[in-house]
Amino acid sequence: MNALEIRNLTKSYPGFRLEKLDLTLPSGCILGLVGENGAGKSTTIKLILDMIRRDEGSITLLGRDNREDAVLRQEIGVVLDEVGLPACLNPAQIGKLMADIYSNWDPALYSRCLRQLDLPAGKAFGTFSRGMKMKLGIAVALAHRPRLLLLDEPTSGLDPVVRDEVVELFSEFTRDESHAVLISSHIVSDLEKLCDYIAFLHKGRLMLCEEKDVLLEEYGLIQCSAKALEELDPAAIRGKKISPYGVQALVRRDGVPDGMPVSPVSLEELFIFMAKEAV
Amino acid sequence: MMKGLLLKEFYVASRTCRSILFVAVVFFALSFFGRDSQFFFLYPLMMVSLFPVTLLSYDERDGWDKYSLTLPCTRAQLVSAKYLIGLIFGGAVFLLAELLLAVRLFLNGAFDAGAFLSLSSALLLLGLLGPSLLMPFTFKFGSEKGRMAYYLVIVLLFAAIALLAGMGFYTYLEKFSWLVIGAAVLLYLGSWRLSIFFYEKREL
Repeated sequence: MNALEIRNLTKSYPGFRLEKLDLTLPSGCILGLVGENGAGKSTTIKLILDMIRRDEGSITLLGRDNREDAVLRQEIGVVLDEVGLPACLNPAQIGKLMADIYSNWDPALYSRCLRQLDLPAGKAFGTFSRGMKMKLGIAVALAHRPRLLLLDEPTSGLDPVVRDEVVELFSEFTRDESHAVLISSHIVSDLEKLCDYIAFLHKGRLMLCEEKDVLLEEYGLIQCSAKALEELDPAAIRGKKISPYGVQALVRRDGVPDGMPVSPVSLEELFIFMAKEAV
Repeated sequence: MMKGLLLKEFYVASRTCRSILFVAVVFFALSFFGRDSQFFFLYPLMMVSLFPVTLLSYDERDGWDKYSLTLPCTRAQLVSAKYLIGLIFGGAVFLLAELLLAVRLFLNGAFDAGAFLSLSSALLLLGLLGPSLLMPFTFKFGSEKGRMAYYLVIVLLFAAIALLAGMGFYTYLEKFSWLVIGAAVLLYLGSWRLSIFFYEKREL
């Protein structure tokens, strides 16, 4: 079963339009939603959570329409960019109230997460650093044993050590094949470590959605002269950067003549080339 | 579900609204021991009954307004938690005010059931008026935009109380006490329904 299916999703604001978005997240997988600030990542997550109303399209979560029933959210763990827990409450108090809100809240798992993430149970949330706040948000999201995690920029503003811990937690979560994660970020290197699928959003449009390994296999970088680039099949070129020293281009490997050296591309490079080409 | 939402409100209120409770106690003391100052019974009740509006502004500051929409509860339940916490805190202060008022009237040998009922109806109306007016506004526009309305309503309420008390309006209320009580309750219930309607339409 697919954990998330988005079809033809459209939402307009003055000056921004999320345009006919199609996304599928199979169970057992992690889908990374990549895009620059303002690309539509948070809008997509808000639409999935029905925090804002869609203009068109459909969203199916764990086989059910996302607007069908609030009870559906028992099975979804959410971490927003701004974590959103009350500043004057400590993790112990947050655990108590969440136990009354989530029917499948697991206090033992919550305590284990707090210990594992080195979070003091008696200190007010408002006194936490950005990294500690995010870790507590993740602990809360995991402690009611969700099947789907929706994470909006959970690694932004975190130091590398905390980011690594957080990425490890999400990997651990998807070891269970009934679990799935949708994670949005503009820190592409984090998604490269973590994701099975990558979706590139740019100015409200989905540029591509593909398995990460397929993307990295299909695309590569070439260094050549402007003249040599002109001789290539234009359909194979997905982006280029021209400098006085020559041209660097993102290409589909199958569109490049045999013998032409093609170097591997990172997801970050792939995204930057495609976003610039699409401007 | 609702228990968890109410527990959150209790925790936040107990940490952030202590100063209001302290002022309420001082006003009660003033009204109990002072002379001809039943009028002061109203102030603590009005301040405490506006707790939910204060809690909404804390929610916005903390981002809880958005986060709570990701929880497995409906928007109607989120609104209802605020109205219920208002009733719980406001109800406790109302009962305390009634008790102190009755004791004071007995001690002065001035207890009269009709006068007590009219005073009670005035307390109830003015206690429920503030949240009933402000909550729908805050749920529709947010507490930032609602802040001006908040101060405006407080000033108008206090001015109205001072004016009506000066005119001795409690005596006029005796004939209409039950009507006033019914109107106050209906006003609060109508405001509750209107807030749910606004909040279900709001995009956060």
